Amino acid sequence: METFLNILISGILLGGIYSLVSIGLNLIFGVVRIVNFAQGEFVMLAMYATYFCTMHLGINPYLAALLVASLMFVFGLAVQRAVLQPLQTEPMMQIFATFGLLILLENSMLAVTRGEAFSLSGAYSSVVINLFGLKASGVRVVVFIAATAIAAALMLFLQRTMPGKAIRAVIQDRQAARLMGINVERAYLLTFALGTALAGIAGALLAPIYTLSPYIGGNFILAAFAVVVLGGLGSVPGAYIGGLIVGLIESFSGYYVDPALKQAIWFVIFVAVLIIKPSGLMGQVGAEEVGLREQS
Amino acid sequence: MTAITQTLTNGQRAGSGPKPLAEMLLQYAGWLLLSLLPLVLVWNKPYWVNIVAYSYLFAGLAAAWNIIGGFGGQFSLGHGVFFAIGAYAVARLYLDLGLTPWLAIYPAAGLASMVAVLISWPTFRLRGPFFAIATMAINEACFAVANYADRLTGGPRGILIPFRASVANMIFIERWKYAVLTFGFMSLVVLLTVVLRRSRLGHYLLALREDEDTARAAGIDVLKVKLIGMAISAALTGAGGGIFAMYVRVIDPPTLFALPDIGVKFALISLIGGIGTIMGPVVGALLIVPVENFLRGTLGGMVPGGHLIVLGIVLLCAALFLKRGLVGAFTAVLRRYWHGKAP
Repeated sequence: METFLNILISGILLGGIYSLVSIGLNLIFGVVRIVNFAQGEFVMLAMYATYFCTMHLGINPYLAALLVASLMFVFGLAVQRAVLQPLQTEPMMQIFATFGLLILLENSMLAVTRGEAFSLSGAYSSVVINLFGLKASGVRVVVFIAATAIAAALMLFLQRTMPGKAIRAVIQDRQAARLMGINVERAYLLTFALGTALAGIAGALLAPIYTLSPYIGGNFILAAFAVVVLGGLGSVPGAYIGGLIVGLIESFSGYYVDPALKQAIWFVIFVAVLIIKPSGLMGQVGAEEVGLREQS
Repeated sequence: MTAITQTLTNGQRAGSGPKPLAEMLLQYAGWLLLSLLPLVLVWNKPYWVNIVAYSYLFAGLAAAWNIIGGFGGQFSLGHGVFFAIGAYAVARLYLDLGLTPWLAIYPAAGLASMVAVLISWPTFRLRGPFFAIATMAINEACFAVANYADRLTGGPRGILIPFRASVANMIFIERWKYAVLTFGFMSLVVLLTVVLRRSRLGHYLLALREDEDTARAAGIDVLKVKLIGMAISAALTGAGGGIFAMYVRVIDPPTLFALPDIGVKFALISLIGGIGTIMGPVVGALLIVPVENFLRGTLGGMVPGGHLIVLGIVLLCAALFLKRGLVGAFTAVLRRYWHGKAP
C-alpha cells in the first residue's frame, strides 16, 4: 500500500509537469491551428534563462519566472510574426519551419554552452514536503500547484474576459469570428505569445528540478503531444487532466513494467486514444483532422 | 494546387495527351546519367567518393519518402523506423543465417512494409501536422524498443558486421563500388517513381493530397490508397536501410533513429530539391549531403552542433521562401521564360 501511494504521488507530481508543459502547446494548437514542434525548446530556453537569472543576477528562480515569462512573450510575438504568420495557410510548411526552429534552438544552445551541463539543484531540490506521512519533493509540489493555478486562471481568462471570449470564438469558427468583427490575426498573435509565455513559466519552474541540457526539450515534447491527443486538441482542462493521466500511467508502468520503455508507453497511449476516441477526452469532435480543415 | 497545374501543363505540352511511358523513362534515365557527373569528377578521391555514395543512397531514400510524403502529401517523420527495420533485418539474416545481403534485402523490405501498414492503419486517421507528430512518436517509441530488445538489435551497443570483402557479402574494399551500388539503388527508386507517378495509384495519391474529402467523394478508397503508397515507400526505405547496414557495418539505435540525421533528413532533402517532383530528391541529396559533410568537418570542429545550426536555418528558410524546392523554382523560371517568348 505504501509503495502504491508513493507511486501515485510521484505520478501525480510528474503529471503536474506534463500538464504545465502541455497547456501552452494545446492553447496554441487550438487557436492558431499550428503544431509547434519547437515548444519543448521554448521550455529549454526558459530553463537556461532562469539559470542565468539565478546564478548570475542572483534572482530567486520563482521570481525569475515572471521576468522569463515576459521575455518569452516577446520572443513568441517575434516568432509568430516572422515565421508562422507567413505560413498560416500552409500546414505542411509549418511542420518544416517549427522543426527547423527546433534544430536551430537546440544546437545554438549546444554551441553556447559547449555541451556543459548546468544544474540549479541543491538549495531547492533538497526540500522535502511531508504529505500525510508520504514524502514528496518540494519543487515538484510547487510545479503541480502552479499547473493547477495556471489551468484555472487560463480557463477564467477564456470564460470571462473579452480577449478570452474572442479567442474562444476563433477556436470555434474563425470565419464567423472574423464576421463578428474579431481581429483574428491579433488573436493568433496574442495566443501564440501567451503559449510561449506559458512555456517560459514552465521552464522557470522546471529549472530547479532537471539538470539542464540543450536536448531536454525532447523529453517534454513527445509526452506533451501524447497529453494533447489524450486530453483533446485545443482544450485547456483537457491538457491539465490529460497531463495528470499520462504522468500516472508513466509512473505506474515505470514501476511495474520498465522505465526504459516510457516512450513506447506514450506511443501506446497515443494510438489507443486515436483508435478509441480520436477527439480525446475533452476535445472538439473532428479536431484531429485539422490538417485539411479550411484555413482562412 | 501546384500538382494539378503541373499535370495540366505536362498534358498540354505535347498537345495530344501525356508522353508515352517509355519516352519518360528514357528522359529520366538521361537525368540520372547526368547525376553520375559528381562521381566522375571525384573519381580518384576516396573521401569524396564516399560522400557521393552517401548522397546517392540518401537520394534514393528521399525519393522513397517522396512517394508517400510528396505525392501522397502524408508528411511522415517516422521513416527512420522502416530504415532501421531494413538495416536490422539484413544484418540479422546475414550474420545469423549467412544469407547474402543481395537476397536478404527482399525479406527486409517486405518486413518494413508490413510494419508500415500495421502502424499506419491507426495513424492515417490523422491529417496534416498531426500525422507528422504521430509518426515522430512512432520513431521515438521504436528507438526505445530497439534499445531495450538487445537480443535482437544488440541494444545500445549495436550490431557490428565483420569486414569480409566479397561481392556475395556486399562488402567491398574499393569505395567506388559502393557508389555504383547506391547509384543503382537510387536509379531503381527514381524510375519506379516515374512509373508510379503515371499509374492509377499515382493519380489517386495526388488527388488525396490536393483534397482528401473530394478524393473520397470521387470514389477513391482513401485509406487503402494511403496504405499502399506507404507500403511501397516503406519497402524501398527498408531496402535502403539494408544497403546502409552493409555500407557502414556498424548499426546502433542512435544512428538509425536520429531524427535530424535520418527521419527528418529524408523530408528535408525532398523539400530542398522539390517535394512531389521526380528529380527533386536527387537534386536535394546531391546538394545537402556534401554541404552537410563539409560543414560538419569545418564548423563542427569549431562550434559543437555548428552544422546543425546551419541545417536548422536552411530548413526554416526553405519552408519560408523555397516551398517548391530547387526543381520547382527552376521549372517555374523556365516556364515563365518559355511562355514569355512564345505566348
